[in-house]
Amino acid sequence: MFSTRLFCLTVFLVTTFLIGCSSGDPEKEPVILGKIELSDGWARPAAQGQSSAVYMSISNGTASRDSISNIASPIAANAGIHETYKGENGIIGMRPAPGQVIPSGEDLYFKPNGLHIMLMKLKEDLAVGDSIDVDITFNRVGTHSIRVPVKVQQ
Amino acid sequence: MKNRPIVFMLLAGLFCLATACSNPDVIPNFEDTNFSLVNEDGSAVNFPEDFKGQTSVITFIFTHCPDVCPVITANMKNIQSQLADTTGIQFIEISFDPERDTPSVLAKYKKLYKLNEQFSLLTGQPAEVDSLLSKLEITAIKTRVDSLHRDSSEYAMKHSNTIYIMDEEGRIRKEYPANVVPPENVIEDLQKIR
Repeated sequence: MFSTRLFCLTVFLVTTFLIGCSSGDPEKEPVILGKIELSDGWARPAAQGQSSAVYMSISNGTASRDSISNIASPIAANAGIHETYKGENGIIGMRPAPGQVIPSGEDLYFKPNGLHIMLMKLKEDLAVGDSIDVDITFNRVGTHSIRVPVKVQQ
Repeated sequence: MKNRPIVFMLLAGLFCLATACSNPDVIPNFEDTNFSLVNEDGSAVNFPEDFKGQTSVITFIFTHCPDVCPVITANMKNIQSQLADTTGIQFIEISFDPERDTPSVLAKYKKLYKLNEQFSLLTGQPAEVDSLLSKLEITAIKTRVDSLHRDSSEYAMKHSNTIYIMDEEGRIRKEYPANVVPPENVIEDLQKIR
């Protein structure tokens, strides 16, 4: 009799504890120290329907590594990370390079001739002097946005 | 004393090797072949015949190229701007992608990158352009932009990354990796060749 009561009490307490842990209360979300910063962004001009490249620096000032899960821009039908690579006989090509990881305290650079953000199938012309929004979603810290100017590399 | 002929032959061999290394290499040769192209104005161009008499800096691009080709064009402009005297020098960009790079598209590209009258942007019938690229040992292969894209009109290209110097007689004399060569390296050779 006593052991049955003890068993029921244990089940009740464990269940209550588990419900409390999974309640989704914002105050119980993990605390992220530091922040991720996007800076020095710019995009290349391109015509509607074509692709543009976006360059910037991403600084991971949080205590943990993070990775990029998605990239979007209102101006493009598709967006993603690509890299320019050198193949055999000096041939230059471009290929998708998703899932970039940024260790804690380190920077990731998108720059000409290397990693870059590709905005594909532009919905309108991108002209020098325009500004566009780029949304980068990280696995840990969520989505960060940056507005970048459109300019020509000198 | 007995070894003198051998030493002489060795020295002669080294001299020949050194001479060969220091002279500008002659790379592809047009062998009097000409190609019918059009420039960004839509005017007919006979290449290389119409460009003889001046020294040419030649590169290859396509205007849908979002990353490397603008770097190459910027490098061409830097070569031009760092030359103390551009008299007798012309700059030529030939499209890998004649299907999409019509003269009007090239004209927009020229305006966008503020390329002056010393620049000629060339395109033409695809078969003619392919023939020229083959003659110049330039490779260009269509690739999918993204594995999710199924639209065949949407393509990128993997391609050679080349700047050539062509002399006044239409001979290709020097070759460089277009997106990374320091302008001063090209300028040094231009001063010798022109």
